Amino acid sequence: MTKQHANWSPYDNNGGTCVAIAGSDYCVIAADTRMSTGYSILTRDYSKIHKLADKAVLSSSGFQADVKALQKVLKSRHLVYQHQHNKQMSCPAMAQLLSNTLYFKRFFPYYAFNVLGGLDEQGKGCVFTYDAVGSYEKVGYSAQGSGSTLIMPFLDNQLKSPSPLLLPAQDAITPLSEPEAVDLVKTVFASATERDIYTGDKLEIMILKADGIRTEVMDLRKD
Amino acid sequence: MQIFEYNGSAVVAMVGKNCFAIASDRRLGVQLQTIATDFQRISKIHDRVFIGLSGLATDVQTLYQRLVFRHKLYQLREERDMKPDTFASLVSAILYEKRFGPYLCQPVIAGLGEDDKPFICTMDSIGAKELAKDFVVSGTASESLYGACEAMYKPDMEAEELFETISQALLSSVDRDCLSGWGGHVYVVTPTEIKERILKGRMD
Repeated sequence: MTKQHANWSPYDNNGGTCVAIAGSDYCVIAADTRMSTGYSILTRDYSKIHKLADKAVLSSSGFQADVKALQKVLKSRHLVYQHQHNKQMSCPAMAQLLSNTLYFKRFFPYYAFNVLGGLDEQGKGCVFTYDAVGSYEKVGYSAQGSGSTLIMPFLDNQLKSPSPLLLPAQDAITPLSEPEAVDLVKTVFASATERDIYTGDKLEIMILKADGIRTEVMDLRKD
Repeated sequence: MQIFEYNGSAVVAMVGKNCFAIASDRRLGVQLQTIATDFQRISKIHDRVFIGLSGLATDVQTLYQRLVFRHKLYQLREERDMKPDTFASLVSAILYEKRFGPYLCQPVIAGLGEDDKPFICTMDSIGAKELAKDFVVSGTASESLYGACEAMYKPDMEAEELFETISQALLSSVDRDCLSGWGGHVYVVTPTEIKERILKGRMD
């Protein structure tokens, strides 16, 4: 007699892909705007990028209901931090908070695949990549979501980030300039859109620099 | 345990200007253990047709032996080599014969047809052909290969540039796949010569 399993799942996957690249004085965070369920498209115009603090921007793919709930928790925790410390949270601090928040629900996880991008205390770009239960790593670039397996090898090829195992520790910053990084992101999404059915419609790119945040939108294939 | 991921493999073929390239990784594993680092996945059927087989290694070898046998028989009867599209149909038929107990392989066929026009195709394990004009991929690293090839490929590349492109695509893709790697094997075929090259990549 095999164990009975539920035929209802609390989770769903809304698809989509998120990418972030860290530069010497900028950070590029990008995500497509398609939200799907199964083989259907729910909307072509859903933003997966959310600003958590002046210097920390979160992009998440996966189950968007869990993503919304996660963003609510982080927003409220950030507000408390601002009241207690009289300043905004730095990106590395937000990175740790996100990890702790995810692990808090270790046994009923947020089905969210996160990439956190921003500027660190010295003004250099930083990207943190997560799994669903909060394991995280500071990297020079990352992709998460349905198109991540298609995108990561190409980013490896173009950016060749040093291994985190190297000693002495090397900076995980890409040598690319900001326009080059934005171009790379556009190329990578165009390729992913061709072969991944859950990625497409529009591409939203947020560029974080010391003087502020700039947003660009590019059309992708709608099929 | 997934049977297609038992041995690990990565095969890719690309079309160039009057030439083609076909490449594979070199690892043979038994799940997480690496057994060999010089496994041949790509085989020459004749000077203008190559087949790369990914999937279960025993079926890769058996299927290759059966195909060589069938092609030799064809050569005896027809007194000529098989065209690549004919060969592809042969592979498809042989795979479909075993529809309810298939060979657990995904072939990638590449060749030069009439007028030196390059031909590539892939099929699933029961013989559903997929003809492509640009590139085809197969194996455990197929998703990574799709992404890398889609970004790096451009049409009408000459032999040298095609070699560079397919090598970069293969190496970056297998580096993201635990079950394939340990170098690469690339064949670049033009109407006049066949160039076989071994790539050194991450040995892990």
